Amino acid sequence: MANAKIHNPIAIDPEKCVRCDLCDWICPGDLIHHEEGNKAKLPVIAYPDECWYCGLCQSICPVNAITVVFPEQMVRNRTDVVKLLGKVVE
Amino acid sequence: MRDNWTILETDVLVVGGGVAGTMAAIPALEAGLKVVLCEKGKVLDHCGSIGCGVDHYLTVMDTGPEWDTPEFLIKHVPELTDYIVDMAVAGRVIREMPRIFRILESFGVDFKDRMTGDYYRLRSFGLPGTYHINFDGTDFKKHIGERVRKGKATVLMRTMVVQLLVADNRAYGAIAFNFRSGEWCAIRAKSVVLAAGDVNRISRNASGLAFDSWHFPYNTGDAQAMGYRAGAMLANMESVEATLTPKGFSCQGLNALVSLGAYFVNKRGERFMFKYDGKGENARRAVIADAAINEYLLGNGPVYLDCRHLPQEMLDRMEFTLQVDRYTLPAFYRQKGVNFREELVEISVSELSIRRSGVYFRGSGLAVDENGETSIEALFAAGDCATVSGGIAGAAVLGHIAGEGVVQRVRSTNGALPAIDLRAVEAIRAQSESHLGRRDGIAWQGFEDAIRQTVTDYVGVRRNEAGLKLALSSLGALARREPSLLAEDLHGLMRVHEAKNIRMNAEIMATASLARRETRTGSSHRRLDYPQTDEDNWRKFVIVDRGGDGPRVHTLSTERPLSDAFERSTAAA
Repeated sequence: MANAKIHNPIAIDPEKCVRCDLCDWICPGDLIHHEEGNKAKLPVIAYPDECWYCGLCQSICPVNAITVVFPEQMVRNRTDVVKLLGKVVE
Repeated sequence: MRDNWTILETDVLVVGGGVAGTMAAIPALEAGLKVVLCEKGKVLDHCGSIGCGVDHYLTVMDTGPEWDTPEFLIKHVPELTDYIVDMAVAGRVIREMPRIFRILESFGVDFKDRMTGDYYRLRSFGLPGTYHINFDGTDFKKHIGERVRKGKATVLMRTMVVQLLVADNRAYGAIAFNFRSGEWCAIRAKSVVLAAGDVNRISRNASGLAFDSWHFPYNTGDAQAMGYRAGAMLANMESVEATLTPKGFSCQGLNALVSLGAYFVNKRGERFMFKYDGKGENARRAVIADAAINEYLLGNGPVYLDCRHLPQEMLDRMEFTLQVDRYTLPAFYRQKGVNFREELVEISVSELSIRRSGVYFRGSGLAVDENGETSIEALFAAGDCATVSGGIAGAAVLGHIAGEGVVQRVRSTNGALPAIDLRAVEAIRAQSESHLGRRDGIAWQGFEDAIRQTVTDYVGVRRNEAGLKLALSSLGALARREPSLLAEDLHGLMRVHEAKNIRMNAEIMATASLARRETRTGSSHRRLDYPQTDEDNWRKFVIVDRGGDGPRVHTLSTERPLSDAFERSTAAA
């Protein structure tokens, strides 16, 4: 389940959210959970580190309550690409 | 039996609700067969490879010119695949392209360009004609999914199939569980279609985030692993695929970029693609990725995407097209503060995947015959898990062919199916549920990280015998730890099964890579210890199936269809 140190990829505006279940329904990775019909509770991003940033939840949200937020290591990436290209074992 | 078991009887079980699976379901439904479709997500309305819409569709249309005929494209396929291709199956797929294209149009898919009212056909990825229709396919899959719903298929969502039921080399169903409700399902079927996609989450990428991947990270080679465990043959598993992505975000879009005229430049501003291929940025995806890999290894990185020379109209079209494939790409650029119209965008080589190695019509996965049937009777495969793969179009065409093959197979099925062995399925479930609620154990995330590091270092784009043997040893050690994998909940149990499937595919890939003692298609299979392409000895398929003590390798001349290696004798009538 969600860990405080893990980046939350999906920001839900509680003022706008109408608790309609669509984001839970559409999420291809089963990350967003919302008890069907429960108008009191916001959807939960149950597995934030399993998001692949497709934005389907944002695109389907009828009231624009969802914003996809990319983490720092995606938008300001410092990885040396050569390290992804294998090691040569003698 | 225990609570929460459902037993279903059906004519056809389809595993995967992407393009291939739904297209396979349609002919079966039209023939009046009962169809059960299991799907981990809820993607009936979206593509299973990327979960979004479609921005291009590869097809021969047979409109008149010679290049637009199946025979013309078929003639070029051996060269396009570096001669590793099953021409019997690829030939059938290409010949069926115009027919399936018209079927899709009859479903309501609008392939025409909104601005011109005509088909907007572009050339890309080394193909010998303008075979790619660029279009707004946001709703492409909705039209296909709608057919499945109208046909009254039983669709089981959030349901993962974990094991096939096979007796005497004949498939008769599968075991699945719903990872929301915990309900287990034993499905007895006269035919099974595997259409669960490619293998992702198998190597590292720039962001280091396992689920940041070019194709769907939720496609984890479930079909390939299940098929392998049941005795099916796989081929071309040594070939890996990579693409170029904006650094930090592994997303789709290379086709749109290159077909609309983008350039790639290295740190010195040199447009380097022509050094590697006379077609420049219009080369095959495998060649484009290989060129960028080489530039990085030569110290010429970073590599950049350059769109600054393009006219506004082309840039508008590019921006629109890119977000059909990946809705969030414009937001990524915005958050990053980059304007791709006016600035260079740093590019990374993506994580690797097992799919079709950047080459159309040479799929990596379950070997199939001309009807889409695998080496196991009544077990079919289509889409990115099968040995002929060609993106959305390949999935649509082979999926439909497999669906027609299923109808023939079901009608020619003689004799009763085996009954479901209740004790055996209980044992499968008990073994699965042993991962749930353990007091101790290892997390699937760390287990997967170890697979990815091993594949990246030793089974990736630079291979040699010592590295591959080291990888096989590490992957074998990981296999021994599988019983200790820990699932915190039902969702985690689904991920545990995925992690095991990823490891299985990595082991098959390393085994096949060790067997092919040559280099072919650049970084798709680069053996540093066998750096040349060996046309005299290696115009062969590497076929892997399950032996007594692990993966077993066979080879077969590519002059013969893969089905010549199958032990089952009967093709569907």
